[in-house]
Amino acid sequence: MIPIELVLGFAALLFCTGLYGMMTTNKALVALMCVELMLNSANINFIAFAAYNVFADATIGNIFVLMSIAIAAAEVAVGLALILNVYKIKGTSSTDDLTTMRW
Amino acid sequence: MDASFLSTIFGDALPIAPEIVMIVGALLIPGLFMLTKNGKIAAILSEVFIVVALAIAALVLADENIQGTFMNIFRLDQFSALMMILFLIVAFLVVLISPESPETTKHKGEYYSLLMIAVTGMMFVASSANLMSIFVGVETVSISSYALAAMKKNDPRAAEAGVKYLIIGGLSSALTLYGISMLYGITGTIQLDEIAAVLSTMDTYNWPFLVSMIAMIAGYGFKISAVPFHMWAPDVYEGAATPVSTFLATGSKKMGFAVLFKIFFTLFAIAPVFATTEMQYVFATIAAVTMTVGNIVAISQQNIKRMLAYSSIAQAGYILIALAVMTPYAMTGGLFHMFTHVFMKGGAFIIVASLIAAGIGENISDYKGLAKRSPFAAAAMLIFLFSLAGIPPLAGFTSKFVLFSSAIFVDGEVVYQWVWLALIAILNSAISLYYYARVVKAMYVDAGDSEEKIKLKKTHIVAIVICVVGVILLGVYPGPILDLCSSAAQSLFGLL
Repeated sequence: MIPIELVLGFAALLFCTGLYGMMTTNKALVALMCVELMLNSANINFIAFAAYNVFADATIGNIFVLMSIAIAAAEVAVGLALILNVYKIKGTSSTDDLTTMRW
Repeated sequence: MDASFLSTIFGDALPIAPEIVMIVGALLIPGLFMLTKNGKIAAILSEVFIVVALAIAALVLADENIQGTFMNIFRLDQFSALMMILFLIVAFLVVLISPESPETTKHKGEYYSLLMIAVTGMMFVASSANLMSIFVGVETVSISSYALAAMKKNDPRAAEAGVKYLIIGGLSSALTLYGISMLYGITGTIQLDEIAAVLSTMDTYNWPFLVSMIAMIAGYGFKISAVPFHMWAPDVYEGAATPVSTFLATGSKKMGFAVLFKIFFTLFAIAPVFATTEMQYVFATIAAVTMTVGNIVAISQQNIKRMLAYSSIAQAGYILIALAVMTPYAMTGGLFHMFTHVFMKGGAFIIVASLIAAGIGENISDYKGLAKRSPFAAAAMLIFLFSLAGIPPLAGFTSKFVLFSSAIFVDGEVVYQWVWLALIAILNSAISLYYYARVVKAMYVDAGDSEEKIKLKKTHIVAIVICVVGVILLGVYPGPILDLCSSAAQSLFGLL
C-alpha cells in the first residue's frame, strides 16, 4: 500500500496550490475554484486517515467528507450567484476592480 | 416556573428545541410572504418565532434539570443556553429595525428566512459538542450571511462586499476544515472531550498538531476578525445594509468567539496539556495586536460604519483576553463583554440605520449638529459611544473592568504574567476615547448645515430604547447577568 505520508503530502500540495492560486489570481471565479481545491485537500486528508485506519473510529472521517462536500456545493451555489450579481452591477468580476472600499 | 411541559412537547429533542422552532419559522416565512406579499407580516411572524425560541432558551437556562445532550452531538447547558439567548436578542433587534429600513431588499421573505437560518446556525454552534457540528454550524452562518451582505439590490458597494466576504469566508472555511482533518488524524476522533483526553496523554509537539492549530486559529480568526485576518470586516460592514451590518458585527462575531471558547477551553484549559502555555501566549499576542491595530486605524476613518467596524475589531481584541488568560473568571468577563457589546455596538449601528432611514449620510461629517436636529438620537449615540470607550457607569466600563481585572487577578491574587496585556488594553481604551469623542464633538459642538428636525421611525426608536436600557442596566446592576455568565463559564470548564 502507498505510505500515508505520500497521500498527506499530496493533500498538502493541493492545499498550497489552492492557496497560491487564491493569493495571485484577480478573477473572483478562479478564487472560488481555489477554495474548492483547498476544501478537497482537507477531504483527502479525512479519507486517508479513515482508510489507513490508524484509529478505531474510521466511519466518522467518511461522514465528515460527505458533509463537507454538501457544504462546498452550497457555498458554490451562493458564490456563483454573488459573482453573477457583481458582474451584472459593475460589468466585471475581476477583483482588481472591486476596490471601491479601502482602508 | 415548572418547565417540564417542554420535555412533554419536545421529548428527546429538547436540547435542540430552540433551533427546531427557528427552523420551522425560517421555512414558513418565505412561503407565507409569497402568498401575502406583505413584508410587515413576515417581520412580525419572525419576531414571534424568535421570541418563542428565546423563551425556551430562557426556561432551559433557569432549570438545570431539563438540560441534556442530543445524540452526543449537541449539548444544551448553561453556556449554550446563554449564548443562544445572546444570538436571539441580536436577531430580535435586527428583525425589529429591518422593515422600516430602506436599505433592505424587497425580497422580504428570503431576507428574514436567511436571517433566521443564520441565527439557527449560531445556536447549533453554541450547543455543539463535536467538530463536525461546529463546522456545519459555522458554514450555515457563513453561507447565509454572504447572501445577506449582498442583498441590497443594485448597490455596487453591497455587491462588492458580498464577493469579498465570500472569498475570504471560503478561505477561512477551507483552513478550518484542513485543521480539523489534521486534528482528526492525530486523535482519531472529532468529539471535543475525547480529543482533549487524547491530547492530555501526549507530551510533545508533532507537526500535524502544529499545522492543525495554526489552520484553526487562522480560520476562526477570520470569523472574529482578529488582526491579521480582519481586512474583510470593514468592507463588509460598510457595504452591507446597516441592519445586516448590525447582525454581522454583533451576532456573527460572537459565534466565532463561541467556537473559540468551546474548542480551545475544552482542549487546553480544563486540564492543562503540553501546549497550554504556548496557546495562551499566541492568543495574548493576537489580542494585543488586534486591539491596537483596530483602535489606531479607527482614528482616521471618515465613514461611521467603517469606524464602528474598526472599533468592533478592537473590541474583539479585548474579548480575546479571556482566551489568553484561560481562567473561569476571565471567561466570565469575556461572556459579559459579549453581552454588553451586543447592546452598545448594536445600538450604535441601529442609530446609524435609523439616521440613514431618515435621510442622513454615513459620514461622520453628516452628523454635525445632530444634537439640535434629533436630541434623542444624539443622546443615545453619546451613551453607546461612551460605553464602548468604557466610561462609568455604563455597561462597557463594567464589562471591561471584569475582563481586564481577570488578567491581573487569578484566584484573588495578583499574577504578573498577564499584567502587560491588561496595560495594553487600558491604553487602548484611552486611544479609543479619541475617535469616539470625535463623533460626539460633531454631534454636539459643530454647527450643522441644517437645523431641520429629524423624525425617526417608531420601530427604530423602540430598538434604540431597548439598547439604551440594556447599556445602563448592565452598567449599574450587573449582578444577575454576571452570575449567569459565571455559571456558564463554570459549565464550560466542567466545574458545575
